[in-house]
Amino acid sequence: MLLPLILPLSVLLLWQIATAREWLAPQILPSPLTVFWTFVDLVTSGDIVEGLAISLRRISVGFAIGAAFGLSLGIAMGRSAKLEQYVGPSLRAIAQVPSLGWLPFLMLIFGIGETLNYVIIAKACFVPITINTAAGIRNIPVHYVEVAHVLRLRRSAMLFRLILPGALPTIFSGIRLALGHAWIAMVVVEMLADTAGVGYMMTWGRTLFQIDIVIVGMVVIGAIGFLMDGGLRWIERRLRRWAPVHA
Amino acid sequence: MIRSLLLSLLTLFGGAGIAAAAEPAPGAIHFGAVGSGYGQQVGTQLIAIAHIKGFIQAEVGDAVKLDFNYFTGTGPAINEAIANGQLDFAQYGSLPSIILRATGVGTKIIASGGGTNIYGVVRTGLPINSIKELKGHSVTIQKATILHWSLLETLKANGLTERDITILDLKTADQLAALASGSADAEFGTASVLPLRDQGLVKVIYTSQRDDPRATGPSAFFVTDAFAAKYPETTQHVVNGFIKAAQWVAQPENREEALQIWAKSGVSYASLKEEYANEQLHDRLDPRLDDFFRGQYADGIDFAKQQKLTRKDVDLSQWVDPSYEAKALATLGLQNYWPNRDVNGAVVSN
Repeated sequence: MLLPLILPLSVLLLWQIATAREWLAPQILPSPLTVFWTFVDLVTSGDIVEGLAISLRRISVGFAIGAAFGLSLGIAMGRSAKLEQYVGPSLRAIAQVPSLGWLPFLMLIFGIGETLNYVIIAKACFVPITINTAAGIRNIPVHYVEVAHVLRLRRSAMLFRLILPGALPTIFSGIRLALGHAWIAMVVVEMLADTAGVGYMMTWGRTLFQIDIVIVGMVVIGAIGFLMDGGLRWIERRLRRWAPVHA
Repeated sequence: MIRSLLLSLLTLFGGAGIAAAAEPAPGAIHFGAVGSGYGQQVGTQLIAIAHIKGFIQAEVGDAVKLDFNYFTGTGPAINEAIANGQLDFAQYGSLPSIILRATGVGTKIIASGGGTNIYGVVRTGLPINSIKELKGHSVTIQKATILHWSLLETLKANGLTERDITILDLKTADQLAALASGSADAEFGTASVLPLRDQGLVKVIYTSQRDDPRATGPSAFFVTDAFAAKYPETTQHVVNGFIKAAQWVAQPENREEALQIWAKSGVSYASLKEEYANEQLHDRLDPRLDDFFRGQYADGIDFAKQQKLTRKDVDLSQWVDPSYEAKALATLGLQNYWPNRDVNGAVVSN
């Protein structure tokens, strides 16, 4: 129960010692207490709440678009070896170009604004979800599929009773991976090409040489990412209640 | 033993111009300034002249290694490098330096760096021909820089406030994208916007030198307190070299060579030529800490406070240290080489 807390608490302790002994200038590494009070300031002034609301909306929309396309294409690719042959290699090539690499190009096409944010975040989610969904479906044991054929299951029953449940663990690792990518993409796009949100707040903190603001942003992003990941794990467990424990 | 003896002899004779130095010479001196990022390691300011023409090297002697860094990350990156102890001297814009000073990092202003012309450009095709007509439009700048300050000063001079426009805070490269894609209608920038005009993307509706010299972006030359305290004599030599560079640039026969040196940074020769058109470099790159310079810095400090860019107050009188420059001007016999300007930039005496 306490094990996961050991590392963060040690880091906090080290941080406190480092600032107390001034291993680094306070302008570079502010003390944990300074950061805490900056956090309180940002909460009471509403700055962080406003920024978070914007960032979370971007994540939700971008993730929803990316996941919808990713799941559809992933299922299609997992079901059709031919489609996989056509699309798979291109997709894996695209996956190699990080979202940041797309930014200068997409910026010229979509301009600076919400569309650009949604596209970058959606793209970041799309690739891992597609690849994992397709892999999860392909890896369903052949004899399950054979049984389904023998039972003459309809296509929809086949999809919802066999394929999706069978591929669920892999699909969910894809989704969790995608959410992580979405966060990274959002912070990057806000830091580089936007004027609102938590990522922008961090860039602004850097510009003003108030590193405490940057650290608050890091902690908030980490905490929310952690909660979201936990939420997804919980959903996955709920969806897999039917599965035997050893599966 | 013999080796170190030889080395110290070498140091002594190498620095021929230096009087018997009481303080040990530093092994290396680190300089920072803004760079454009696509040319050679050189910028477009006085320090780049002092660097390429070897004015500082001649003053401190060949035994001291001089290390010049031109940061594409501009002000914030220079601030970080100073706070990290990676730089001893820096020349850059007023706003970032005020932000650093307000956090308590110790620097001294030892010379003016001269002004940077600021241009207001509008996407071609938009019916905007003056600052007043910017009302209701989006303007892209990088906030917390001299561009931000200059934009708001200009708006104020034209009876507008920042609430009359939408400010889009972007880095230079992204500003171009914002203009090209129509996300922004106008931009306030340095000479880096001129190539856009040459491509027909934007038209220039404002230049600070022509329309409002007080809003021309000020810069200064800084030394860290730590370096000045440890090496006061070397600091003096560096300032001497800096003033010599300003004197060299000020002579009309050197203008062409100066533009060629700056063009190595990647900023086009044509842009640089236009930046200083109809003007003597003697006037624009005046290194002195006179009332005009102080007025601009005081303005910058007020601006930073109003805009909540700084948490603590900055006391200009505690920050400016004119002693090195006064000594350099006296040594070089240049006390009257540059005229005194009042806070509005008008010449009051020669």
